[in-house]
Amino acid sequence: MPRLVFTMIVVALTVVVGGELATVRGQALSGEYRIGVLEPVTGPLAFEGKRHMEGLEIVRDLINERGGVMGKKLVFTVADATDPTAAASEANRLITREGVKIITGTFSSRLCGAASEVAARHNVIYWESSCVDPRFNKRGLKHVYRTEIDATGFGWYNVEFIAKHLAPRLNLRPNQIKIAFLSEDSSYGQGVTESARQRAKTEFGMQEVMLEYYNWQTLNDMTPTILKMKQLNPDIVHHISFSNDGVLFWRQAKEQNFLFKALVHAGATGYGGSDFGKALGNDANGVFALLEPGPGFRLEALKPEGQAIEKAFRDAVQKRTGTYPFGAHQLAGSGLWLLKLVLDRSQSDDPEKFRAAVMSLDLPVGSMINGWGVKFSELGQNANERVQHYMLQWQDGQLVTVWPEEFSTLRAKWIPLGAWDQRK
Amino acid sequence: MLLGGIYALISVGLTLIFGIMRVVNFAHGEFLMLGMYLAFWAFVVFTADPYFVVFVAIPLFFVVGLVVYGLVMRGVIHASHNVQIFTTVGLSTVLQNVALVAWSGDFRFVRPWHLSTVLRAGSTIFNLTQVVASLIAVTLTLALVAFMKWTHAGRVMRATAQDRDAATLMGIDTDRVYRLTFAIGIAAVGAAGVLVAPLYSVYPTAGLQFVLLSYVVVVLGGLGDMLGAMLGSLIVAAVEVAGSYLFGAAWKEIFYFILFILVLVFRPAGLFGQRGAETLGV
Repeated sequence: MPRLVFTMIVVALTVVVGGELATVRGQALSGEYRIGVLEPVTGPLAFEGKRHMEGLEIVRDLINERGGVMGKKLVFTVADATDPTAAASEANRLITREGVKIITGTFSSRLCGAASEVAARHNVIYWESSCVDPRFNKRGLKHVYRTEIDATGFGWYNVEFIAKHLAPRLNLRPNQIKIAFLSEDSSYGQGVTESARQRAKTEFGMQEVMLEYYNWQTLNDMTPTILKMKQLNPDIVHHISFSNDGVLFWRQAKEQNFLFKALVHAGATGYGGSDFGKALGNDANGVFALLEPGPGFRLEALKPEGQAIEKAFRDAVQKRTGTYPFGAHQLAGSGLWLLKLVLDRSQSDDPEKFRAAVMSLDLPVGSMINGWGVKFSELGQNANERVQHYMLQWQDGQLVTVWPEEFSTLRAKWIPLGAWDQRK
Repeated sequence: MLLGGIYALISVGLTLIFGIMRVVNFAHGEFLMLGMYLAFWAFVVFTADPYFVVFVAIPLFFVVGLVVYGLVMRGVIHASHNVQIFTTVGLSTVLQNVALVAWSGDFRFVRPWHLSTVLRAGSTIFNLTQVVASLIAVTLTLALVAFMKWTHAGRVMRATAQDRDAATLMGIDTDRVYRLTFAIGIAAVGAAGVLVAPLYSVYPTAGLQFVLLSYVVVVLGGLGDMLGAMLGSLIVAAVEVAGSYLFGAAWKEIFYFILFILVLVFRPAGLFGQRGAETLGV
């Protein structure tokens, strides 16, 4: 008899505990909740758009393994936003024909403005996970949100790194640094560059020796710019590149034997994309790019909940792509995970209830994927100081995390950059 | 000057098609892109140097040109310019998206041993790959000029360009002339794609960065004038480089488009074209 009672208790416990675990890991979800996803999956921006889609799909699956959103399985209706016109018309279609109440996307500063305007006109929630155009959240659109840092934040971090990490290692005071600003001319490039220029000049008194913008889509030769730079002899080149312009500059700088002490970029494009390393191999060594975390990132530096989701995310990306997450995966993934946190709290896609939930979220740095925290401003912008960013450096064909040092096991090298053939 | 050589290489096929067929081929950049992908895959799969691949590319793209002419261009060759433009823009979109689906939007790179090789002349530094591309551009242009001037096929092509109806009355098979013209033009741009692949990233919309500039070159040089296209290329490159150096990279297009507008206003046949040729299409 006692054995029978013991057996029954064990069986009952197994059922209860197993059931509880099932509700956490594979909860029986009641129906589907559909959101609109706008990404450029064809056309000239597709190289990043497709990676964003990958990041979104990976985190969607993680979310559905963890109870979905509002108790429902999260599903996507995907629309192709190849350019601003398509972004606007597809946003309109998602709302009027597909009936979605939330749209997320679009990664590019070229697209997010047009798409979010349409969403705002229909009183639909627009949840941007990437574009960094500083004007995005300054248009008075109440239900438009951005989870990623804006371009002014990129500029702030870059100058912080130059003034506080590079300058001492170059045996220079910040106001002795000669800096050349070069950038592609989209709102992303201009936003980062202008905020960096302002902080470099007003806060640190750095000496700006050059400012030049260009259109990356029609750029075939950077030799004239490089020859001009050689004459100006900057210590730091602050270059915001968008795609192959980074490869072109670096390759032609080597050809022309243009020597300077460091190059600093921001964002997952250009120097921050994996293509840069593929194109140049070890010749890429030494370039800095402000990004989401890469190899060398210390999980232990995060809060326990941040460690758990960051690890699950990394493992899922590794399983699907065979690589460490790229910036596009990380931006899209963290944005979608944050959307889940908000919907879990609001339990509604009513714009007012959703907004109340967004504003009530207050998570410190280290709580989320990428080690980010959450605190939205009234403008719908996640606070730059909570969206922790990291300086990565190309080292032997890989972008690795080197700063802030408390988040990294690896350290920056080649400060200053030596001769081109010495960066091994 | 070396940059001009690359522009000439890309433009020579366009000016041939433009001048003889009077078709504005908006898919020109996409054939360049296909040439770049050929160089990339040949390098990845067979470790084949682009200088070798170019000899494969010329006949291969000649056949591609014949096929595309038969399937797409023949039907619109006598249609209005609007129909031709819509057709070639459509072809451009199709080729871009086929490349995107087949090879993804990733940037690819061809890195032959000579990519980082530089030649020095005093304080001036030249990239070897650019030098070779420019030399081939000059050779190809001169070969095409000789072909047009001294061969029977060339004379027939020029006659067709001057007056299609008269050429037909003289017994010239104009359809065959257009087919040959299109195939030669595509072979030239395919070869150009292979040669520039080491210098630029390879991706589905890689052709877009050159195609607009090619039109400027062709109009500057004079429609259908291959030597003119070469000189036009050098002028555009010189204006671009000088503008970038003196005023900044953002200004480079402004200067060559001002030049383009001035030429259209004062010499619509192009800087080196025959006066009145624009109405004949030669």
